[in-house]
Amino acid sequence: MAVAHPLDRYLRTDRLPTMWCPGCGLGILLGCILRALDRRIREGSLRRENVGFAGGIGCSARMTLYPYFDSAHVIHGRAIPFALGVKIVKPEMKMIVVGGDGDIAAIGGNHILHAIRRNADLVVIMANNMIYGMTGGQQAPTTPRGLYTTTTPYGNPEREINIVKLAAALGANYVARGSVTHTPLLEQMIYKALGKRGLAFVEVLSTCPELFGRHIGFRSPVDLYSELRKRVVVKTRPSVEESDYSWERGFVIGEFVDRDEPGFIEVLQEYTSRARGGAG
Amino acid sequence: MRIEVLIAGRGGQGILLLGHILGRAVAKYTNLYILGSEIYAAETRGGDSRVDLVIADREEEADFIKVMGADIAIVMHQLQLDAYSHLIKDGAVVFLDRSNVTSVPQRKWRVFLEPYTDIAEREFGTPRVANMVALGHLVRQTSLVPPEGVEEVIRETVPKDWVDVNIRAFRYFLSR
Amino acid sequence: MRVDYVTGNTAIALGSIAAGLRFYAGYPITPTSDIFEFLARELPKRGGYVVQFEDEIASINAAIGASWACAKSMTATSGPGFSLMVEALSLAVITETPVVVVYVMRTGPSTGVPTRSGQYDVLQATYGFHGGLVVPVLAPATPQEAFDLTVRAFNVSEKLRTPVVLLSDATIAHTYGRVVVREPGEVEVVERAKPSVPPEKYRPYDPGEGLVPPMACFGEGYNVLVESLTHDERGYYAPRSDVQRRLMWRLYRKIVESAPELFDYGAAYLDGCDVALVSYGSTSLSTLVAAKILRSEGYRACSIRLRTLFPVYEEGIRRLLNGVGKVFVVENNVGLYYRELRGVLRGSEVVSVPIIDLDLPQPREVVEVVKQWL
Repeated sequence: MAVAHPLDRYLRTDRLPTMWCPGCGLGILLGCILRALDRRIREGSLRRENVGFAGGIGCSARMTLYPYFDSAHVIHGRAIPFALGVKIVKPEMKMIVVGGDGDIAAIGGNHILHAIRRNADLVVIMANNMIYGMTGGQQAPTTPRGLYTTTTPYGNPEREINIVKLAAALGANYVARGSVTHTPLLEQMIYKALGKRGLAFVEVLSTCPELFGRHIGFRSPVDLYSELRKRVVVKTRPSVEESDYSWERGFVIGEFVDRDEPGFIEVLQEYTSRARGGAG
Repeated sequence: MRIEVLIAGRGGQGILLLGHILGRAVAKYTNLYILGSEIYAAETRGGDSRVDLVIADREEEADFIKVMGADIAIVMHQLQLDAYSHLIKDGAVVFLDRSNVTSVPQRKWRVFLEPYTDIAEREFGTPRVANMVALGHLVRQTSLVPPEGVEEVIRETVPKDWVDVNIRAFRYFLSR
Repeated sequence: MRVDYVTGNTAIALGSIAAGLRFYAGYPITPTSDIFEFLARELPKRGGYVVQFEDEIASINAAIGASWACAKSMTATSGPGFSLMVEALSLAVITETPVVVVYVMRTGPSTGVPTRSGQYDVLQATYGFHGGLVVPVLAPATPQEAFDLTVRAFNVSEKLRTPVVLLSDATIAHTYGRVVVREPGEVEVVERAKPSVPPEKYRPYDPGEGLVPPMACFGEGYNVLVESLTHDERGYYAPRSDVQRRLMWRLYRKIVESAPELFDYGAAYLDGCDVALVSYGSTSLSTLVAAKILRSEGYRACSIRLRTLFPVYEEGIRRLLNGVGKVFVVENNVGLYYRELRGVLRGSEVVSVPIIDLDLPQPREVVEVVKQWL
């Protein structure tokens, strides 16, 4: 097989092209993930056979179909417990959960909440395109208030979730928000997340030109991309209080939390070895 | 051979422990099959406590978990005697705690009426081992299980500090 | 091997250890919590992990994940929790994930009487998931059977790469019994087939000559694909009728064609039986006594206790009940499994004896109902 691209060795090339619409931001995110993994694998801080992906349902979760690693495309909202099940019994695995805002922040809300509370050793990448894409443009918990969606035709009456604050409040070791409009920064965040113990959470602002952009007046993928880029505010080491998530005030991206508390897996192993000591 | 055993009393009288020790001793120290069930009221003390045991020498005869006509019974209180005497069949061997039972129904039972609670208090300084006094009496009169087996089970079941007094209480009737 | 005196729930926990359980994911629910608590104490001593998750949905999904990391996995629940698990069990069906779900039935519907018993969920245990495929359902009636069938549930699960439901109930859960407990190494344990080809040739859903594909795990370099979408042998999404047909019929056949091997029952008083009382789970204790009473009253009654409820081995059941005049299906619900047997025993007289009781149906009541039909 001719290698057409340096990242091809990490891809199931026979499955390409991806199922994503032209102009979708998810391909950019996949590129960042694979480049970050490539760096980790090349420098020897990750072994390729110890990398696993898990995703639920949605356009973003379909990202699990393409990387040439152990990979699970499971059911809506439940990739986190699946990945944690793998991780508990095989701690050497680096489990990467990829999902959309619906998959992780809505139906999977209970799981992300408790995974963060545990500081579970997972890399969770939440692609946030502010809409339910795969099902046709319905309201998401991330949809900014006031915007049109197919299930809120008079405007979204709901307050949007700022998941960065949630992740920070519950004690994730690493919390960052990136954007597909700022790829070197995003790649660096994912690279860093891959090196963390405990829970590393990266929210990724992405674009859905078909079912979000078009509906709110941005006719082409470039229009939406440019619009998002305009509304993104890059900050160096912003505080959690600065993590604005707002169509009007802008979307602040950056690294909000970076700490090194023991992760769930090592604590669990320590307690489990106590039991073994006790058994004599 | 198929034997049904009913053990009943008020919560706090150690009925479940009695039943458990007897059941466990039968399972581990005889060749008999056994099924057992427990009933207890939600409140810790004062409500109904009851253990049903079905014991048989063939597996298919250990066929139920509720007593339908008890062959052997220990009843530690009048309330439960009134409530359950219909479950004890004629000809049964029945052990009653005279300390808490004042009126024994006219039935064709072989009744042993002894003040288990008073004995426990007088001889062992606590009413809590009345259950073991009664169990010792049952084991002596029925030979259902070897006493050494019961003592082994007491040792593995009861908290360390209580093993000795429980075994002494259990031996009260066996050594007489 | 040792003899113990334990409840049905404890017997299940001990059976799972004997079978090689390495991961228990749980959420507390009556009447299963003592399985969870027992394993929380014992499994870590043997190198396994017990984790309480945020709900039953997380528990079953974590168990499925752990199974894909090659650990034998289990969870236990009752009706409300199982209802939350069924979506993930459908995932386990299509991804062919070995996992054991202990379903301790309690009085329902909904919250019902959480501490008491019933057999209302016997059909849900296999028909509860979307997708219309059958999963094996094993039903113990005593603590000894709870131990033995738990071991079997793991073996079936590994061999056929399928979720298996161990269907118990609140009565068995709290019934004590003499149990011959075997330790790991003292029971026959089946391990899932592993791939014999190198990673680059491995196709995770290729069954080869048989019906069950060898299973590689996460972390072994095989680049496995766990795919909830309709997939071909590579695990690639393939929305095509031919692929769907191939997949569905294989998933169906691997279970249904195992029916003869999975078939298991206990029978008593079979000699000259003309009145068969068929039952399963705790109610089969009631029928065992009822059959004895009927015998003592001159009826040629027998008792049959089905230990495998699904897949239904139609031939085996027909052979077993061949020549019996009347078949009574006794169960603690509105007459659910009766519907299965009625279909199988067309031509025989099959009577439903549904007796709803918070505990066990009384044998006398069974006898009275049966006698109305004799």
